[in-house]
Amino acid sequence: MDYQVIVIGSGPGGYVAAIRCAQLGFKTAIIEKYNSLGGTCLNVGCIPSKALLDSSEHFHNATHTFKTHGIDISVPKVNFKQMIARKSDVVSQNTDGIQYLMKKNKIDVFNGLASFLDPHTVQIVGKETQSITGEKIIIATGSKPATLPFIKVDKKRVITSTEALELKEVPTHLVIIGGGVIGLELGSVYARLGAKVSVVEFLDGIIPNMDKTMSKELQKSLKGIGFDFYLSHKVTGVAVKGKEVTVTAENKTSEILSLKGDYCLVSIGRKAHTEGLGLDKIGVVLDDRGRVAVDQHLKTNLDHIWAIGDVIKGAMLAHKAEEEGVFVAEQMVGQQPHIHYNLIPGVVYTWPEVASVGATEAELIQEKRPIKIGKFPYKALGRARASMDIEGLVKIIADASTDEILGIHIIGARAADMIAAGVTAMEFRASAEDVARMSHAHPTYMEAVKEACLSATENRPIHM
Amino acid sequence: MKVPSVGESISEVTVSQWMKNDGDHVEIDEVICELESDKATFEVSAEIEGILKLKVGAGDTVEIGGLLCVIEASSEIKEAIVPDVKSEKLTGGAVKTIQMLVPTVGESINEVTISNWAKASGDLVVLDEVIAEIESDKATFELTAEATGKLEILAADGTTLEIGGLICQIAVTDEVQPSTAVIPSESDHATTPAVSKGYAVGHAPPAATKILAEKGISAAAVQGTGVGGRITKEDAMNAQLQKVESSPKEQEKSIINDPVQSADQGERSEQRQKMSPLRKTVAKRLVSVKNETAMLTTFNEVNMQPIMELRKKYKESFKAKYEVGLGFMSFFTKACCVALQDWPAVNAKIDGDEIIYSNFCDVSIAVSAPKGLVVPVIRNAETLSFEQIEREVVRLATKARENKLSIPEMTGGTFTITNGGIFGSMLSTPIINAPQSAILGMHNIVQRPVVEDGEIVVRPIMYVALSYDHRIIDGRESVSFLVRLKELLEDPSRLLLGV
Repeated sequence: MDYQVIVIGSGPGGYVAAIRCAQLGFKTAIIEKYNSLGGTCLNVGCIPSKALLDSSEHFHNATHTFKTHGIDISVPKVNFKQMIARKSDVVSQNTDGIQYLMKKNKIDVFNGLASFLDPHTVQIVGKETQSITGEKIIIATGSKPATLPFIKVDKKRVITSTEALELKEVPTHLVIIGGGVIGLELGSVYARLGAKVSVVEFLDGIIPNMDKTMSKELQKSLKGIGFDFYLSHKVTGVAVKGKEVTVTAENKTSEILSLKGDYCLVSIGRKAHTEGLGLDKIGVVLDDRGRVAVDQHLKTNLDHIWAIGDVIKGAMLAHKAEEEGVFVAEQMVGQQPHIHYNLIPGVVYTWPEVASVGATEAELIQEKRPIKIGKFPYKALGRARASMDIEGLVKIIADASTDEILGIHIIGARAADMIAAGVTAMEFRASAEDVARMSHAHPTYMEAVKEACLSATENRPIHM
Repeated sequence: MKVPSVGESISEVTVSQWMKNDGDHVEIDEVICELESDKATFEVSAEIEGILKLKVGAGDTVEIGGLLCVIEASSEIKEAIVPDVKSEKLTGGAVKTIQMLVPTVGESINEVTISNWAKASGDLVVLDEVIAEIESDKATFELTAEATGKLEILAADGTTLEIGGLICQIAVTDEVQPSTAVIPSESDHATTPAVSKGYAVGHAPPAATKILAEKGISAAAVQGTGVGGRITKEDAMNAQLQKVESSPKEQEKSIINDPVQSADQGERSEQRQKMSPLRKTVAKRLVSVKNETAMLTTFNEVNMQPIMELRKKYKESFKAKYEVGLGFMSFFTKACCVALQDWPAVNAKIDGDEIIYSNFCDVSIAVSAPKGLVVPVIRNAETLSFEQIEREVVRLATKARENKLSIPEMTGGTFTITNGGIFGSMLSTPIINAPQSAILGMHNIVQRPVVEDGEIVVRPIMYVALSYDHRIIDGRESVSFLVRLKELLEDPSRLLLGV
């Protein structure tokens, strides 16, 4: 065998798995079909979208809040080309970073499309075609944007998230199909830059997997920056005519909605990517949704092949994939790590940000679990007022009798970073009162968490 | 199904009556029993459809959260019972956790010890499957799974828990979702007694979880020193040491007392083992009997020849008729009953300033069970035939060896017979089984030279010993009892005639 471990795919699942394997002493190879490492996350996902979100947020502040802050500037203009260029720089810095990490950990990098020739042999078709053999193989091929059968993604006017990060101009009217994380984040970018954004969502709320309160609050905020929402609408057609895209949809009473825009972003979700891998050739079984089927150890039906990240079941999140990468690598040397899937946080990088961990109120109500809820608005927070980020709230859900925190939901400035404290608390099964009795630096946004915990414990917030 | 929480200050209820019998088929929401608290009476409905298995009887008092009964789902989709009685069907992916608490096992029993887990954390268990053995100071019980799902052990082998304490939890798996079962009452979560012990006790955060998993130690086996009983990383790292201390096999690896001398002296290891609750109780009782009674022993010898001849003669026909062997126990028990009735003080006990004379003979028989000595009782032995006694002895001894004796089966008794002879004892001074006042020790039967009518003859002889509490039994009574016993045994026809 050429390698002890071969990792297919270099996204956050794959490269982390490779590094952990190398740390554990395996001779490791990683295969990436694109020229740069990092997968969706680094190239066309998390990182570039955050780059544009930050840039556009700066622009938004320059146009909306600077004056109040006492900063007078001449009317700022968007240099979109520069924005995209900076984003690309960020991406290449990050992907170069991965390249460096591979080298540092003595991981051999192969560029090309991987496919199984037999259970231990992977063919790589790149500039040249070669084959390598491995004792153990990790499939980390990730996912790609999903679409609907009747929508033709031409990648020019009807685009996916990938193209939305590479536009040449700020759309005038961006019609987004799907009110999930990806659509709302990219919609935010363009709304801040001046586009009119319309979101058509099939369900009756945006970010449907998150707590209802978060969904409502976020919808309110986004409306404030120019979003229009068409909820409970089923898209029936997307037609392109020159520079104009017409999205037609109907609501529950079959009323027809027709939206004309210059771009249509299809962000209805992502699907596992297994094409061309030759899994059928070696008999690796897929589940009913085309994902690689794995057991609780993330092992496929073949004893030496594992799969992690978006290509398997579970939330399509970079940090979920990372945990799984480490999980699999460590199991290979007989260690027994654990992943608490219900404690993997979910984040939406809009502004205000939304972040949550644990169960939603609706889930707990469905379970008939007796709960109590504590909320605290950013508005009542000194820190938030100082920086004019007063939109948002913290919602803590705790067990009615034990006071154990069961869910933490935050919408507001810096929620994404704050949720880590929530994960810590929940991994240690803290009660709301535990958190409420811990000193939180003042003035910080985290005080809202403390106050919400006080509120959940005995409904006795101090600052409200 | 557990006792639902019925009101703030109500901590226990009494089962006033069962509307359904053990083994009955019950429908969902059908009223199965009536509970009575000190404030009100209310009905309990079946949470699912299935076969009812009663866990407590009418008249029993049960704590809130205590186990009432188990309903075995009869349909193909086994339905797990969720302590949250209001539970409705779960959505896909959601996992419901059932907390299993120490059931109420007997009136005077406040705590039990987990003696043996049949399953490990992470194992998939099926509803009603035996998952552990629980030991009280009186008996051993089997703990059955209250739901189908993944087991998480929260109290390791050897842990002592109070009644109502949290033993383990079962994460109900997706395939076995609880069905709709709406019972208007607060959820168990709110009132489960385990709460007072803390839901976080034994919770292992990520690093500790991993370390413990790799060591193969259940989190439940580790004493958490963190806040609220949580297991810290340090606890997990030190866990192996504790395991060595508690696992007899590994202990044998030795604790060297004197490293200087150990070199050429061979094996010098010792073994330390925690006393089982049963052993502790036995120890405590025996010492207290020695201290608190005026115990002494009187001896005699019994010529067993007549009984042996009788037995030899009727062994086959007895067996053929009753399908149980004719042993010595029936003779001794019958003879004791006659003698006890002749000398009621031997059958009496002290209660404070009073002496209680029992007008019946409940004869306890000492049985050596795997976990130690137990003394099940043959009730009203004076009214039983030889066949009934033999049958009862077999039944009780079998249950004793299988650790299946119930507490009622071991409670009471007015007199005890112990047979050290089966282990080869020639003579012993047994200790009274308190609060009884006397115990008969049987011994081995040995061919001995004895003098009969001036001739030395060889006879099968058994020495018998009667230890008695001199506080209420005088020498005259005890010695006469034993002599009477000797007479009856040496001439069994007396048993028939009562002379």
